[in-house]
Amino acid sequence: MSSILEVRKLSKYFGGLAAVNQVDLDVVDSEILGLIGPNGAGKTTLFNLISGFFPSTSGKVIFCGRDITNLKAHNTAQLGISRTFQASTLFMKLSALANVFTGCHLGYRTGIWKRVLRMPPALEEENMLKHKAMELLEFMGLASLRDEMAGNLTHGQQRVLGVCVALAANPKLLLLDEPVTGMNPSETLTMVGLIRQIRDDRDITIMLVEHDMKVVMNLCDRIVVLNYGQNIAEGPPAEIRKNKEVIEAYLGKEGAK
Amino acid sequence: MPVSIIIQLIVDGLAMGLVYVLLASGFNLIMTVPKVLFIAYGEFYMLGAYVLWGLMFLGDVPFFPALCAATLATAILGGIVYRLIFQRIQYMEQQFLTNIIAALALSMIIAQAALLAFGTEARGMPSIFPGIVNIGGITISVEKIVLVALTLAVLIGLNIFLQKTNSGRAMRAVSFNADVAALQGVSANMTCLATMAVGCGLAGFAGGLMAPVFALSPGMGAITIFVLFVVMLGGIGSMVGAILAGLILGMTLSFGQFFIGSGLSQILFFVVIFIILYFRPGGLLGKAEADIPI
Amino acid sequence: MEKPRRTYRFKRIDTHNRKSIGIIVLVVILLLVPAVVHSPYYIHLLIMVGINAALAMTFIFLLRVGLINLSIAAFWGIGAYASAMLTMRLNLPFWLALPAATIITGIVALIVGLLLCRNSGFGFIIPTLAFASVVVLVFGTFDVFGGYVGIVNIPHPEPIVIPLLPLIEFTSKTPYYYLMLFLVAVVVTAFSAFYSASTGRAWRAIGLSSSLAESLGINLFRYRLTAFIIASAVCGLMGSFYAHYYSALVPITFTPFPKTIYCHIFAILGGIAFPFAGPAVGAFILTLTPEFLRIVGEIEPILTGLLVIVLVLFAPGGILGLLSSRQQVAHPSESIDRIGKWIKASLPTSRTDRENRK
Repeated sequence: MSSILEVRKLSKYFGGLAAVNQVDLDVVDSEILGLIGPNGAGKTTLFNLISGFFPSTSGKVIFCGRDITNLKAHNTAQLGISRTFQASTLFMKLSALANVFTGCHLGYRTGIWKRVLRMPPALEEENMLKHKAMELLEFMGLASLRDEMAGNLTHGQQRVLGVCVALAANPKLLLLDEPVTGMNPSETLTMVGLIRQIRDDRDITIMLVEHDMKVVMNLCDRIVVLNYGQNIAEGPPAEIRKNKEVIEAYLGKEGAK
Repeated sequence: MPVSIIIQLIVDGLAMGLVYVLLASGFNLIMTVPKVLFIAYGEFYMLGAYVLWGLMFLGDVPFFPALCAATLATAILGGIVYRLIFQRIQYMEQQFLTNIIAALALSMIIAQAALLAFGTEARGMPSIFPGIVNIGGITISVEKIVLVALTLAVLIGLNIFLQKTNSGRAMRAVSFNADVAALQGVSANMTCLATMAVGCGLAGFAGGLMAPVFALSPGMGAITIFVLFVVMLGGIGSMVGAILAGLILGMTLSFGQFFIGSGLSQILFFVVIFIILYFRPGGLLGKAEADIPI
Repeated sequence: MEKPRRTYRFKRIDTHNRKSIGIIVLVVILLLVPAVVHSPYYIHLLIMVGINAALAMTFIFLLRVGLINLSIAAFWGIGAYASAMLTMRLNLPFWLALPAATIITGIVALIVGLLLCRNSGFGFIIPTLAFASVVVLVFGTFDVFGGYVGIVNIPHPEPIVIPLLPLIEFTSKTPYYYLMLFLVAVVVTAFSAFYSASTGRAWRAIGLSSSLAESLGINLFRYRLTAFIIASAVCGLMGSFYAHYYSALVPITFTPFPKTIYCHIFAILGGIAFPFAGPAVGAFILTLTPEFLRIVGEIEPILTGLLVIVLVLFAPGGILGLLSSRQQVAHPSESIDRIGKWIKASLPTSRTDRENRK
């Protein structure tokens, strides 16, 4: 089993403060990896570093054998890393279908002039991508909402749509930032099922940040725990559940019995 | 190059620069409290000059009362304009662009009204504080000294007002968050109106001060763009930045005018701004903007 | 790639036909105008409306990408001066100078854009204003451009030779009118093509949420730069036309205040949700109205200013926004929204302010 993503001694300093401090971790191909830790532990920052939204201070990120450490966000997307955001980030004024269709942007192969001049091969490709977008919406259970403006959807629907849009970019690695935050139990269940399906049916590796422990323990093959920007534990859910350092991190020294 | 000329240029630059600082402060207030990019600001500067001129020459009013009247007149007009126009825009979508358009329309109206009232020709005023003073071998006109003194006084007064008085604190509160300010009993609408009035009053004051020094013309409003750049250079909302940037402009224009001519020195100023703003979009003292995902 | 299981119906049809007929009718009317309107003065006005409409369209073009462009008039000027120089100093024929000036303007936009387009929001807007100010100063300061007096006697376009038809000479205003129509049609066609292609969608994505667009593989800098170059080149194109139509150029025509803001006004008061009809309507009403109001004499700018303020306050979606219920999809771009949110921080939610009045 190879590592699709290798993070080596990755650090990010904001001024004098280390948000991410010498983090080492591996993401195994086709696994669902959970990233947990108390608030402010650096989880979203780590996502930002991996996906190229922040430049790192030191360390390396290797994706599919390739050094992507200082690549910018659009480059990592082109290489196959997709992400969602902590706050629902969508094209609010566009319909759900338009959102996903825009996400298919990386799927274009015909030359740019052929597209602008509306030549047949470009139009065919566009049609094909539109169908792909529709299929993705169906897969995520949002087909009935295809013409609804994204801004009008419920919170839960928006978060599912966010994942759908990220999928449209054809990722090999999907970074989900708090996918079920703010959802009610039935929505959470649906999302968990979808995440599993994404990995099982489409063979996409998933790394997710989440605070809902039930979801994390249930869904993830392995878990990495961050505290104060450092990797303090790594392993399958059963081990992490019993790990003293992890419990201390969450509950403080007195809470750990 | 005789030292006296250099000192002369410095004094000139200081005087001009301080006026820009004054204008930038008023503009800053309007940008940070009611948050209007007020491109009609220069027209209030122009009005202040004309009111002073009118009162002194047609009404035989002495200088200081006329200056106060000019300041008051522009302040009141600013408040009215805010209440009638910009307060309404605040509650609309797209305020930023709408404000700019309304401000431009307003500047058209005021400039044309002034043109009709006063004619197109530039007018001069005889000096109010004639004479020169000799300090250690350097000759400085009394006028400039008065200018610098009055400007400094007003700037210090403005600072005290903003830091120490309730109204000033209200303005600063509203500039951060009107809801939080409301919890303290501050009415955002009234505060924005007052701020606009104060800002425009400052412009009128500056105009009145400059009237005896430079020729008056309805085209004086063109100063707006320089004020805008001084504010941007110093960082929106930063008083210290405005001081720095205003003095930089004053010095650039003063020295530039002497060595390379006014056209080229203006070009130089804008090019310098362009470069600085490219590296530090927040201005010299503002924060460099970072594009962070939500 | 497997074939899709079903074919989905993507709606369009009826509105498409109605729109096509509308466009054809409009084109016919525009072509027949000189047959009905004989006064060169009105033809002149329509030509100016056309130029203004095209410039306003570039404003919306960049607005969709989330950029507020304050250098519209400056690039208009660069195209005009470039074209004048090419024909007068290098003796190029107009028909070569027109594309050449457009390309030159594009190159200037490329150079400036390399710096500008790295930022968005204020970090873009203000440097465009600085650049625009420098351009006007350069035209006025250096004698090679004629200084503040400007350039006069710019040659007219050479006659067009079409076999079997009489020579089309540019001696009256009418040929200029048709040339303007042609150029505007080119601009509209080009913009439409971009808008409906993936490039236009990418631009819109950047404008609506630059972070999301970036995460989907869209290179923000490259797309912003491309849009900036295209928009500015179009301004240059209209500039070249203007130079040879008006035959004289003065730097003060190309100042950011008021000319560029006028272009903004045309677009916004027409309705920014309408990338072509909005600027056209806005330019039409706001170019013609001052002319007609000139009857009242010198208070015309005051009346026009009042009209603008009234329209801005009572027709926030623009004139077309009043007539149609179309949602403003075109405009709310993220960086402008951010500025709007910053502004809104100064506003009370109306309830709290009313409570304060007690």
